[in-house]
Amino acid sequence: MKPPGQPLARPPAPRAYAETLLMVAGVTALGLVAAPMLPASAMDLAYLVPVLAAASLHGLRCGVVASLASALAYNFFYTAPRYTFRIDDPGNVVTVLVLAGVALFTSRLTARIRDEAAFAAEQARQNAVLAGFAAQLAAADTSAHIGEALCREVAGLFGVNTLLLALAVETPPALLAAVPPRIQLPQGLEAEAAEAARASGLPGGRHTDMLRAADWQFHPLLAAGPAQAVLGLARDDGRPPIAEADRALLAGLLAQAALALERERLAGEMRDLAQLRERDRLRGALLSSVGHDLRTPLTAIFAATAALARTSATGPLIATLDSAARQLDRYIANLLDMTRIEAGAIRLNIQPLDLTDAVAAAVRELPPGQAPHIAVAADLPLVRLDPQLFHHCLINLLDNAAKHGGPEGDITITALREAGGMMLSVSDSGPGLPPGSETRVFETFNRLEGSDRSQGAGLGLSIVKGFAEAMGASVAARNRAGGGAAFDLHFPAALLVDLDGAEA
Amino acid sequence: MTMAAKILVVDDEPAIRRLLEATLEHAGYRVVAAGTGREALNLIDIEKPDLVLLDLGLPDRDGLGLLPLIQAGGGTRAIVVSAREAVDDIIAALDLGAIDYITKPFDTAELLARIRAALRQQLASQAERRQVQSGELSIDLLDRRVLRGGSPVHLTPKEYGVLAALARHPGRVITHGQLLRTVWGPAQADHVEYLRIAVRGLRQKIEPDPARPRLVINEPGVGYRLEMEA
Repeated sequence: MKPPGQPLARPPAPRAYAETLLMVAGVTALGLVAAPMLPASAMDLAYLVPVLAAASLHGLRCGVVASLASALAYNFFYTAPRYTFRIDDPGNVVTVLVLAGVALFTSRLTARIRDEAAFAAEQARQNAVLAGFAAQLAAADTSAHIGEALCREVAGLFGVNTLLLALAVETPPALLAAVPPRIQLPQGLEAEAAEAARASGLPGGRHTDMLRAADWQFHPLLAAGPAQAVLGLARDDGRPPIAEADRALLAGLLAQAALALERERLAGEMRDLAQLRERDRLRGALLSSVGHDLRTPLTAIFAATAALARTSATGPLIATLDSAARQLDRYIANLLDMTRIEAGAIRLNIQPLDLTDAVAAAVRELPPGQAPHIAVAADLPLVRLDPQLFHHCLINLLDNAAKHGGPEGDITITALREAGGMMLSVSDSGPGLPPGSETRVFETFNRLEGSDRSQGAGLGLSIVKGFAEAMGASVAARNRAGGGAAFDLHFPAALLVDLDGAEA
Repeated sequence: MTMAAKILVVDDEPAIRRLLEATLEHAGYRVVAAGTGREALNLIDIEKPDLVLLDLGLPDRDGLGLLPLIQAGGGTRAIVVSAREAVDDIIAALDLGAIDYITKPFDTAELLARIRAALRQQLASQAERRQVQSGELSIDLLDRRVLRGGSPVHLTPKEYGVLAALARHPGRVITHGQLLRTVWGPAQADHVEYLRIAVRGLRQKIEPDPARPRLVINEPGVGYRLEMEA
């Protein structure tokens, strides 16, 4: 294998010209010795031997020199008058010209075959390098190993110092590998050149179009998307780090390493995802078991309360116990709902709902004695929602209205068509929202100030927001012109069901 | 009723079992209790209860898997008890033949009402049901006639189909899927919107205040029930 860095069509050395001329001289000498036995006409073919030899050994230029030297020698030694460059016989002129022409033509052919063979050999060498490198990459299972393999390979092939720098937008630069290992993380101009190469996707630094004053030359490793790493090359003597002829091989190595790094990055993401899923699964299991564990004693409390109510006369105390247990039940439900929202673990079960159905089911769960005004027309479109999640939204809105609705506790539920969809509004006749708190009320654990009657952890409204948004709806709070607060659920037109196909 | 109905309580929590036993005995039922699925199946064979109150969260086996076994033993009926979030389990249990469900934590008064409805239904279904009465509404299932306060109500075929399907099991939740399969046919089982519209139309004709339904009651995400009013 020839050493790297030699261009294919290099000019022949002076020695090659000398050898060429020597071969022509040798054939001439042999011809002169054998002249008594051979006709002069045989010599024109004999001169093709040095032409072919020179072209195949030393390339086209030597072939041309051999052709011209042969034509001249033939003319000098074999055409009459001999030992002059003069030619008397017109037939001999033709012979000399044909000899020169054939010699030139064959030397061209031979030289081309030689170049193609050399090119194929170079391709084979590069392929062998790339295949060997691919094998190394296949064995590398971390980005540091991939980096080491790349740095070692490039340093060994081209005789340069190398470093591989991981450059991601969100993390500081990190040195993945370097040959020799004493090389430090690039600073200042070098770091800028590396960043320029990453950002542009083109080589940067020494002997490039960007920041050429740097000592290192940086090449980006490009796979899918922007480069995540750059390879730095430098020579101790400051010569160009990479010869023009070797750029293709370097590009091949870089592309392979970039793919390997990308593969490694994706594998890492898959590992993280699997971990995250496992954590979510555990959290879900914990939640449902906590839900079960808390509800079992609560069921016992309900049953015991009912048993007490039958046997004892302390009515008001039992009513307190019962209502406290109900509150606890709602808090547990809200806590579970909130955890589902924050874990992103909401599984939607969307179906067309009639708002009358949904509102009636929520109102039925209010404590006896609470009777909201319901203004939901019977001809509104159906809305595609998750019945359970929407039920929880309504329960929480009604709960909130009951808590903050003031002494009269008038609650109104209205559903209307509006531009771009439909709206359902739960409004109360209480003191309303403090100015500017219209978005803050939906934040987790936010209780309205100035309301000494506020109960609960303030989860209810953030659950409404979380569930509404999970279903593609939205919620907003406002103060009503006539006093009191209103919470509006907006359903975009995409959630409304076209009833043309329905058969009643 | 010559003899008090016998109820099997299946729950893995001893405190709940004791309380339910006390509550149900006080309400006049005979009660047996089991803590595991295996025990429950044994007791069904030995005691032949009229009704099983089955908690779906059993330690030794899936409560849903018990339902077909319970019914195989001579048509014993089951009310399932489940967590409120487990709508899928509830629908599966109803589709597997459970006649009703109640979510934890439940209210004792409501539980007793469901049990009464379930047992009443069992008696009624032994003699073919013909006439169903709830409040002002009277449904004749043989003549396909619906009266409200004595005057006839004109329903579309689908509206009548839904009402009749509910009236055949008064007080019991019928899932969306069951209603759609019965009234529209198996191919339409996913078209909940058809059902919503039929129920809407039905309410306009039979409810005193359609915005506050008292007869056809929605169980969110599960189905509808016909409420029995005195």
